Amino acid sequence: MTDSGSQPGTSPAQTSKQEGPWAEAEGRLSRALRDLGQTSWLVTVLSVVVALVVGAVLILGANEQVQGSLSYFFAQPTDFLETSFQVLREAYSSLFRGAVFDWQASSVERAIRPLTETMVYSVPLILAGLGIAIGFRSGMLNIGGQGQIILGATSAGFLGYALSLPVGLHVLLALAGGIIGGAIWGGIAGVLKARTGANEVIVTIMLNNIAIYLLAWLLKQEWFKQTGSNQPLSSSVDDSAQLFSLLGPGFRLHAGFLIAILATVFVWWLLERSTIGFEFRAIGENPEAARTAGINVTKATALVLIVAGGLAGLGGAAHVLGTEYRIAGGIAGSLGFDAITVALLGRSKPLGTFLAGLLLGGLRAGGVLMQAQTGTPIDIVLVLQAVIVLMIAAPPLVRTIFFLPRADGRPRLRKNRRRAQAGGADESASRESTLATASSGSAPTTTQEADK
Amino acid sequence: MKLELRGVTKRFGSFTANDRISLTVEPGEIHALLGENGAGKSTLMNTIYGLYAPDEGEIRLDDEPVSFNGPGDAVAAGIGMVHQHFMLIPVFTVTESVALGYEPTRAAGIMDMKQAREKVLEISGRFGFDVDPDARIEDLPVGAQQRVEIIKALSRDAKVLILDEPTAVLTPQETDELITIMGQLRDSGTSIVFITHKLREVRAVADRITVIRRGAVVGETTPKSTETELAGLMVGREVNLTTAKEPAVPGDVSFSVQGLTVLSPMDKVVVDNVDLEVRRGEILVIAGVDGNGQSELAQAILGIREPVAGRILLDDQDLAPLSVKQRLAAGLGFVPEDRSTDGVIGAFTVTENYVLDMYDTAPYAGGPGNVALRLPVMRKAAQTQAERFDVRMGSVDAPISTLSGGNQQKVVLAREMSRDLRLFVASQPTRGLDVGSIEFVHRTVIEERDKGTPCVIVSTELDEALNLADRIAVMYRGRIVGIVPVTTSRDVLGLMMAGVPLEEAKQQAATHHTMLSEADEMAEAEENK
Amino acid sequence: MKRSFKTSGAFAMTAAAALVLSSCGEAPEEESEGGDAAASEGTDYKACVVSDEGGWDDRSFNQSAYEGLQMAIDELGIDHAEAQSTAESEYAPNVDTMVQQGCDVVFGVGFLLEEGLRLAAESNEDTNFALIDSYFNEEELEGELTNGKPLVFNTGEAAYLAGYVAAAMTETGTVGTWGGVQIPSVTVFMDGYADGVERYNEDNDADVELVGWDKEEQSGTFSGDFSDQTQGGEVTEQLLSQDADIIMPVAGNAGVGAGPVLEDADAKMIWVDSDGYESTDFPDIMLTSVMKEIGQSVYATIEEGVAGEFTSEPYVGTLENDGVGLAPFHDFEDEVPSEVQDAIEQLRQEIIDGETVVESENAPS
Repeated sequence: MTDSGSQPGTSPAQTSKQEGPWAEAEGRLSRALRDLGQTSWLVTVLSVVVALVVGAVLILGANEQVQGSLSYFFAQPTDFLETSFQVLREAYSSLFRGAVFDWQASSVERAIRPLTETMVYSVPLILAGLGIAIGFRSGMLNIGGQGQIILGATSAGFLGYALSLPVGLHVLLALAGGIIGGAIWGGIAGVLKARTGANEVIVTIMLNNIAIYLLAWLLKQEWFKQTGSNQPLSSSVDDSAQLFSLLGPGFRLHAGFLIAILATVFVWWLLERSTIGFEFRAIGENPEAARTAGINVTKATALVLIVAGGLAGLGGAAHVLGTEYRIAGGIAGSLGFDAITVALLGRSKPLGTFLAGLLLGGLRAGGVLMQAQTGTPIDIVLVLQAVIVLMIAAPPLVRTIFFLPRADGRPRLRKNRRRAQAGGADESASRESTLATASSGSAPTTTQEADK
Repeated sequence: MKLELRGVTKRFGSFTANDRISLTVEPGEIHALLGENGAGKSTLMNTIYGLYAPDEGEIRLDDEPVSFNGPGDAVAAGIGMVHQHFMLIPVFTVTESVALGYEPTRAAGIMDMKQAREKVLEISGRFGFDVDPDARIEDLPVGAQQRVEIIKALSRDAKVLILDEPTAVLTPQETDELITIMGQLRDSGTSIVFITHKLREVRAVADRITVIRRGAVVGETTPKSTETELAGLMVGREVNLTTAKEPAVPGDVSFSVQGLTVLSPMDKVVVDNVDLEVRRGEILVIAGVDGNGQSELAQAILGIREPVAGRILLDDQDLAPLSVKQRLAAGLGFVPEDRSTDGVIGAFTVTENYVLDMYDTAPYAGGPGNVALRLPVMRKAAQTQAERFDVRMGSVDAPISTLSGGNQQKVVLAREMSRDLRLFVASQPTRGLDVGSIEFVHRTVIEERDKGTPCVIVSTELDEALNLADRIAVMYRGRIVGIVPVTTSRDVLGLMMAGVPLEEAKQQAATHHTMLSEADEMAEAEENK
Repeated sequence: MKRSFKTSGAFAMTAAAALVLSSCGEAPEEESEGGDAAASEGTDYKACVVSDEGGWDDRSFNQSAYEGLQMAIDELGIDHAEAQSTAESEYAPNVDTMVQQGCDVVFGVGFLLEEGLRLAAESNEDTNFALIDSYFNEEELEGELTNGKPLVFNTGEAAYLAGYVAAAMTETGTVGTWGGVQIPSVTVFMDGYADGVERYNEDNDADVELVGWDKEEQSGTFSGDFSDQTQGGEVTEQLLSQDADIIMPVAGNAGVGAGPVLEDADAKMIWVDSDGYESTDFPDIMLTSVMKEIGQSVYATIEEGVAGEFTSEPYVGTLENDGVGLAPFHDFEDEVPSEVQDAIEQLRQEIIDGETVVESENAPS
C-alpha cells in the first residue's frame, strides 16, 4: 500500500533511505507547502469573506458611536443595529471607493483614480508575489522577498540616479540592475540550500536582516546617496530612468503595471510550458522522484531562488522607478511579507497571484480613504490580511465555519482523525483509503478491476 | 477473549472501506484476515483498535458491545496491536520501549523502571523470547524488535492480539519463529488476528481464514483450502501464481559490478565489495530481506548514490563519470523501489509522469536549448504507451495519484521501456501491487529479457524471486552470500537470506525443515491425492 | 507593522469585551447625533495629520503631533482627519487623500514625508502644508513655496543643557548616550549633549567623560531601531559597564528598555522628546528630559490657520520660543545643587542671546 501519490514518504523504507531527520522534516515542509498552495478557490474566497466579517467586528469594536449605542443595547437594540449598519456601510463603502471607483469624486478623473491607485500598489506585490509563488511551487518557502526587494530597489534606484544615459536605455538598465540585485540575494540562499542543505527559511530571514542593515549603511554613504543632505534618503531617480506614466499627470499609474502583466505571463509560461518549470515543479512536488528521474536537484534548487529573487528584485525596481523615485530605509515597507500573502491567496498560480496582488493593492489603496474618511484605523487592513492568511493556512477552519466537506471528498474529520494522528498508526489505512477514494472518484471501476 | 464484529461499516466520503463486515474470533484462535492490498484490512483493524469509529455495526468483546474513543480504550479493554511498521524509538532500551505510554510509576511520579524490567523478563521468559531488556532497539534484529512489540502488547494484558502484516520484514526463518510464538500465544488463550496477503503463511498458521475483497467479506474458510482457491477468493477470479516463461538464452556478459562498496550517510558500509555479472537476455534477481543493501546497490547503479570503491561497467563503459541523466540516456531503464516517493510525482499528470526522465529531450521538448515543452507530443506519446501497457485511467491529464498502484507502476514501466534499453534495473517492482498487476509486471520484465536486455531485479519476496529469476544472488548485510540457480530450495534460500553460506545452508536445510515448507509439502501431497 | 497591528487588535478586542459587559445601560434621550457635530460648531477649519511608519502610539513625534491636533480639536473646535501610514509607499497617497478630503492644513510627520508634502503643496495651492521635523528640499522646489511651513526643532540646544546637568551630576565621572538609528534627528540630540558635557569640563576644569557618542567622528552606540526594548537594555548595559551612571537614550520606544537596567544599576536616565517623568514608568530615576514641543507647534500652526494667518515662515523650535526645553528635575530638584541650576539658567540665557551657539551638522537645515 505504498501507491498513493498523495501521501509520499511515510514508509520506513523511505525514511531510512532519506538522510536523517532533517531530510524528513524538509519533506514534511514541502508537503505542507504543497497543501498551502493547493487550497481550493472556494476556500480562498471564503477566507476573504471571513476576513471581512472579522474586520467588521473590529471596526464596530473600535467605533465610539457603536460603543455608545451598545451601552444601552438591551434598552434599545435597534439603535445599536442601525449605528452598526451605518458604520460598516461607511467603512466598507469608503474602502471600495478608495480602491475601485469613487462615485462621490469631484471629477471623472478623480472617480477612476482609485482603481489606478490599486494598480500602482499592486505592481510590487504582484512581481514579488510571483517570486514567492515560484518558490512555493518548487517546495521552497522563500521568506526572503523583503531582502530581495530591497536589493532590487537599491540597485535599480542607484543605477537610476548615478548614471546618465539616454531615455530608453537608462530605464532598461536600471530594471536589469534590479533583477540582478534581487537574483543575487535570492541566489545566495539558493546556492546555500542546494550546496549545503541549509534551510532556506532561516537563510532568507537572515538575508532580510542583512539587506535592511546594508541599506541603512548605504544611506549613510555620500557616494551612494548623492545628496547634499545628511538625511538617510537618496537622491531622486533621473527622469530618463523613470517608468513612464501610463495615464499622464494626475495619475501615478506607470509602466510597471505592464511589466507585472508581462511577468505574470512569463511565469505562467515558465512553470507550465518550459522544461525549467517542469524541473521546478518536479523538485517541489517530489524531490526524490525528480532526482531518480535524473533532474539535477541541486542546480534546479539554486535556480528557483535565483528566479524568485529576480522577480522580487524587479518588483523593488518597479517600485522605485515607477512610484517612489527615492531610496529610503523603509523602501520595501512590508512588501516582502505581503507578497507571501499574495502568493498564498493566489494559490501559487500566476493568474491567481496577479489577482491577489490586485486585491491586496486594493485593500491598501482603499484603506487610505477608509482611514481618512471614517477614522477607521488602517490597522484593520492588516487584520484583514492576517485573517486571510490564517484562514488559508488552516483550510479545515474555513470548512468547519461553512460546513463544507473535506477537499478530498472525505467527510469532515471528527475526533477520530485526531486520535489517528495521536496514535500515529493509521498510515497504511489512510493511504489505503486515500488511494481507493481517489481511484473510485476518477474512474468508474475500482482499483482491483482496473488493474486487470 | 472472544472478539466479534457485527456488520461493521466504515465509509470515507463516498467510498466504503468496510462494508458490513462480520467476523468472530474465538478465544485461543488464530484468525487470518486475508486480502489484497487495498481490500480494507487495515481500516478494519484500525477500527477495532479505536483509531476509527465505525459508521455502522458494533464490536463485541466477550458478547459485550464496546465502543472505543481511541487506542487507549482499546488497550484497556485488552486489545493489542503490532503494526507493520514498528512504533519503536530506536534509542530506547527494550524496557523503556515497553514502558513507553504505560509508565508504571511509584509515588511522586517516579518511573518504576525496575517493575517494567521485571515485566519484560517475565513475559520474555514465559514464551522463550530471549530478549535482553537492556538492549537498545536499534541494535536488535527486526525479528527481535517485533517481539518487543508483542511483549509491549502483552504487558498491557492484551487478550486479543492484532498482527498487521507481521512477516513482511522477516526472513523465512524469522517467520518460522514468529509462527511458533503465535502458536504459544494461542495455547495460552490469546486470540490472534493475523493480517496478511501471503497465502502460504495463512495456510501454515491460521485456524480459520476470513477473506475480504473490496471492503466486504467474500468467504470464510479453513487452512485446508489450496493456495489457488485462496488466491481466487482474494482476487475474485482465477489467477496464475506463476508466470510462464521460456528458458533464458543468455548472451555475453554486458553488465558487471566489480568490488562495489557504498557507505550510508552515517558512514556505515551498506554495500560491501559486491561483484555481479549479468548477461544479455538474463534476469538476475537480488534476493534478501529488506534493508540488506539491495536498495543502495540499485541506487548506486542509477547514480544517485556515489560508491566509495568499485566499478560499474555497462558494455565495457565505466558509468562512474556519468550523471543520472546521462546514465538514463545511455540506455538504463530504472524502476525505483518506492513508487510513490521515487517513481512518480503524485500531483503530476499521467503525461508528465510519463516523460519524467525525458521531458527535456526531443521530441518532447523544442525551441532553443530544448527549453519549451511540447505538450501535444507528450500527451500523444503518453496516450499511445498507456494503451500499449493497458493503463486504466480517466485521462492522461489526470494526476497520477488518482490511479491505482498497479496502474501507476504500469506508467513507470511504460516510461522506462519506451527507450531502447541496454540495461534494466528494477527495485521491488511489485511491492504493494495486486495479483493482476504483479502478473503484468512479471510478463513485461520477461519480455524485456527476451529482447536481449540484461535485467537486474531486486526483490524481497522469495516467491517473486523464484518466479522471475534465471539466477538468484542472495544479499545479506551488504554482501553477496551466494549466487545460485533458480532451482535452489526455499529453505536454502531462506537460510542464505539470514547470512548462512550456501554449503552450510544446504546441510542445515537437509536436516531441518521450516514449518512453511512442511505445510507446502502437505499441501502438495493433498493436491496429488 | 507588527506592533501597531498588535496594539490595535488588542485594543479592539478589549473594547469589544468591555462593550459586552457594559451593555445593560439606559437608552439616552433623543438628541443630536454624536459629539462631532458639536465640535464642528466652533469653526469649519479642517486640520489633518499624516503619520510616518511609527504610527500614533510611538511615544515620539507622531504621538506628540497627534496630541497637538487633539488639543486644537478640544480648544478650537476644528474639524479633523488623520491618516496613519504603515509603509513608505503610503505617504503620497495619504497626503493626496487628505487634500481630497478638503483639509485646510495638512501636517506630515517626519522628513520622509517631505517629498509627498512638497509635491502636494506645489500642485494644491489652496491647501496649506506643514512638515514636522524637516525643512522642504530647496533644490527640488520650483520657485517659492508659499503654502508649505516647516516645523523644526533645534533640540541640540536643550540637549546641551542636559549634557551640562549630566556632567555636573555624575558620580563616576562618566556619562553616556545612545541612539536608535544614526539619523540626524537622533544625533542632533547627541551632539548637543556632547557639547554640554564639554562645556561643563571647560567651565569647571573637570574631566567628565562621555561614552556612546563621539561628535568629532560622528560615531557611537546605536541599538538598531526604535522599537526593540531588549536591545535597548543591552546597549544600556554596555554603557553601564563603561562606568556611565547617567544615560540618555534617544530611541523612542527602544529607549524604554534602558529603564529597568538603569533602575537595577542605581543609575539615572535622561529622556528625550517628552517629559519622561510623566510619559515613562521610571520617574524615580528620571533626572530630566530634553523636550521637543511638537504638539505645541502643531497647535500654534493650527491656531494661525484658524485666524487666517498661516505663513510659510519656518517654525524653528528653540530655547527662546520654548519649542525645545529642559524638563523640570522633579524628584531630583533638591539634589541638583543650586549653583548647577543657576549655571543652567545662565547657559540657557546665553544660548537665547546668541552668546553661546550650539553647533551641529545634524541640526535641522
